[in-house]
Amino acid sequence: MAGVIGIYAFDKLWRMARFAYYGLLALQNRGQETAGIVTCHEDGLSEYKGRNTVDRVFLEEKLSSMKGWLAIGCVDAEVRHEGSIQPVIVNKPTKLAFCMDGKALNWREIAVEEGVSTESDVNAVAMILSKYVDKHGLLNGAVRLLEMLKGGYCFIALTSSGEMIAARSPSGIKPLVIGSFGFDYGVIASESCAIDVIGADYKADVFPGEVYLFTSYSIEKARAQRSEVAYCSFEYVYLARPDSYINDISVYETRMRIGEVLAEEHPVEGDVVIGVPETAIPFAMAYSNKMKIPIAMGFVRTGPHVRSAIKPTQFERLVGVQLKLNPIRGAVKGKRVILIDDSVVRGNTTKNTVTLMRNKLGVKEIHVRIGSPKITSHCPFGVEVPPEDELIARHLSDEEVAAVVGADSFHWLSLNGLVRAIGIPQSMLCLGCFTGEYPLCLKT
Amino acid sequence: MVKVLLIGDASREHAIADAFARSIHEPKLYAAMSRRNPGITKLCKRTGGDVAIGNIDDPNFVVKAALDFHVDFAFVGPEEPLFHGIPDALEETGVPCVGARRSMALVEMSKAFMRRLMWKYKVPGRLRFKAFKSLEDAVAYVNEYAESVAIKPARQAGGKGVKVIADLQVYLSKEKREVKAEHVKTVYEKHMAVYDDIDDKVLIEEKVEGPEYTLQAFTDGRTVLPLPAVQDNKNAYEMDIGPETGGMGSIAGPGWLLPFLTEEEYKQSVEIIQSVVEALWKETGVRYKGVISGQMMLTALWGPTIIEFYSRFGDPEACNVLPYIEADIVEISEAIIDERLNTIKISFPNIATVVKAVAPKGYPDHRDLARGHPVFIDEEAIRRRGCKVYYGSLDERSDETIVTAGSRIAEIVAAAPTIPEASEIAESCVQYVRLLDGWGVFHRSDIGSEVLLKKRIEQAQLIREIYHYRLSRRLIGKAIDWIPGRGKIEYEF
Repeated sequence: MAGVIGIYAFDKLWRMARFAYYGLLALQNRGQETAGIVTCHEDGLSEYKGRNTVDRVFLEEKLSSMKGWLAIGCVDAEVRHEGSIQPVIVNKPTKLAFCMDGKALNWREIAVEEGVSTESDVNAVAMILSKYVDKHGLLNGAVRLLEMLKGGYCFIALTSSGEMIAARSPSGIKPLVIGSFGFDYGVIASESCAIDVIGADYKADVFPGEVYLFTSYSIEKARAQRSEVAYCSFEYVYLARPDSYINDISVYETRMRIGEVLAEEHPVEGDVVIGVPETAIPFAMAYSNKMKIPIAMGFVRTGPHVRSAIKPTQFERLVGVQLKLNPIRGAVKGKRVILIDDSVVRGNTTKNTVTLMRNKLGVKEIHVRIGSPKITSHCPFGVEVPPEDELIARHLSDEEVAAVVGADSFHWLSLNGLVRAIGIPQSMLCLGCFTGEYPLCLKT
Repeated sequence: MVKVLLIGDASREHAIADAFARSIHEPKLYAAMSRRNPGITKLCKRTGGDVAIGNIDDPNFVVKAALDFHVDFAFVGPEEPLFHGIPDALEETGVPCVGARRSMALVEMSKAFMRRLMWKYKVPGRLRFKAFKSLEDAVAYVNEYAESVAIKPARQAGGKGVKVIADLQVYLSKEKREVKAEHVKTVYEKHMAVYDDIDDKVLIEEKVEGPEYTLQAFTDGRTVLPLPAVQDNKNAYEMDIGPETGGMGSIAGPGWLLPFLTEEEYKQSVEIIQSVVEALWKETGVRYKGVISGQMMLTALWGPTIIEFYSRFGDPEACNVLPYIEADIVEISEAIIDERLNTIKISFPNIATVVKAVAPKGYPDHRDLARGHPVFIDEEAIRRRGCKVYYGSLDERSDETIVTAGSRIAEIVAAAPTIPEASEIAESCVQYVRLLDGWGVFHRSDIGSEVLLKKRIEQAQLIREIYHYRLSRRLIGKAIDWIPGRGKIEYEF
């Protein structure tokens, strides 16, 4: 998984590197392994990339001297080889910088057809795009790529002659939005929070299959042939920021509805509701409102914000969770606690939390509610989910999970409950990580 | 028989010409144009008139045309002839003119003059501003104050050179200040370089936010006769994205108001224009005879607020109202000339109108690319769909081929009970404006759409709530601030 942004100034006075930087900072939730920015200016392309979080990769000194009125950027959750850190640059036939969020499923086949040889999906797709736009033109080349390449992805590309292409796969699995700042620049990003943070206005969702081409004298749009639309439901549960709009639906409002549905499906008596920061906080607030049980601040974070679930190793995930979750004794001591979390993948972080609360803080009862249906399957579209034999929900019943983590009760949100909370018909959602049934005829 | 000389050659003037051609007084229409607008030329021929091609900013050329054609009066469309004193020159030779004299047109030509006038006469809807003569002072100012500002050429420069920068995130301030300073230089070195007719060079105004609209009015310097409110759309591309243009299309109605404008706001807007016309009279002793338009915005600061004045109709805004006003333009013109505009009543049918401009690719920032492409406009097909088309920035060559001149090619006008309906009808006609050499055209399909209209209404409602709150706290016309270390600063407008 990754976060992408592209900024296109209509006036060459602008230097957009810093805007891309803050946009990426806002998208940090979508990937913390690598970060990169490529700008375009009179002398061509400049790149600046590294392996770390956004605030550590980019140094002020360099950022404030980076020129270019066009910029694209990417944060990536995938550990990649040096030459594959996004955005990647392809030199021939059409020179362009390229970054994508998500996965193309059949990229190897098309790479063979086009005589592209590389072991990296991102490099391969970038090279294929370069060939397509050389052959069919910028807009039609991008449309062709969308029609050939199956999967769930969005990409943004910047040519060295100063055009920007942004596209969302016809499946619509990965999110993409468009915004603008007055008469001065247009912006495309994975999530609307990046548009807010750089002071621009969110305008609309980029529709599945849509391509935007920005040139110095036009913005053109085209749409690839329609296919089955399947919006990623996990964006609403966990991936996206609550201040974002995904598919023109507020993530925050969706999470509040999830909390309400969770209370309807699995009510329980208790003295206090606490949410595991930060994703589960809206679930907990809505659960509390619905049940009329007070909410309390349960935890304080130590150190920088990390998204524990998408860290690549178990050690890093545990460090993340333990540092993130120092419980506040005064909020829970001697009480019947309803603990709301966003997801349980392997179960060990939840076990850790529950044990701590029982053994050290003296809670009387602890009921765990999860604002997500059971995660039982991997994601073919690039969301980092552990191997299926490690997924607790795939193997144990609710009662068994309760026993393992040491809770008085333990319940997941139902699949129907999630669909209801999102408000998009089930036929238009990808629920693959919960059901093992994937859109685009993939039975894996 | 009345003979009228029309000055100008864009869509707006074509709409004015069309209004004259429809008059029951059947005037003979003559036109002085810099380029041969095929639409205007046709109407002149049809009414038995003629055209003269030359520099319409040159008083000698226009006066000669008026005398040659023996016209009874003249009507000036665009601003530059007003700034060059064409009405003054015509009236000196005994040809009455509907068009602001130079001293009146200053309300548009010099943005600093306009702001000073509003402040002097305490006209509501004014903004704080600073006018600069020296580049160094202006650059020093934007470097020192990281604020949200509008930077404008102090003189009307064909609507170009305006940059509005919201500077609210301190972490982006460095780059924004660079752009502001660079833009100030551009205004000096590019936009203002060609003008030596005013002293001020650059104007820096506080930035305000809200839905914009244009209120156009006839005036004889005593009476202000307003027309329905119109909203133009300035961004080049859909969803209000893209560089600033002269206007990609506009909406009006149903009736006198816009869906996001209240009657009270409309009235206040008219009062602002009346106050300015009166202030001009007090200031100069000259009667403003012509058209005056307020380019307005609903702001949290005031409610109706003046962004700029036009000393003429807006383009495309003229095309929303002129085809549908229920009043005779010959009678209006004569009443303006005789200073008895109070005897004229203008009514307007309860319809909505939508104008869509079609522009060649390259407009607005790469006009060299947009110029010289042969055009075909299927007028018949457009008429069959119940729409009107007004020819824009075009030139008819001697071999009768029509080519683009760099700006908007044509404006299509549709009327219907509601704005979205009118928008759809106009949309169906856009295909009839084509370039014959394969060069692309563009327009905005979203103008007048349900979605965009809803956004405007929401934005207006938000602003309305804030200015009503400020009104209830008696904060209109005031700004209160707390500067740490200095204390509370109250600023009376």
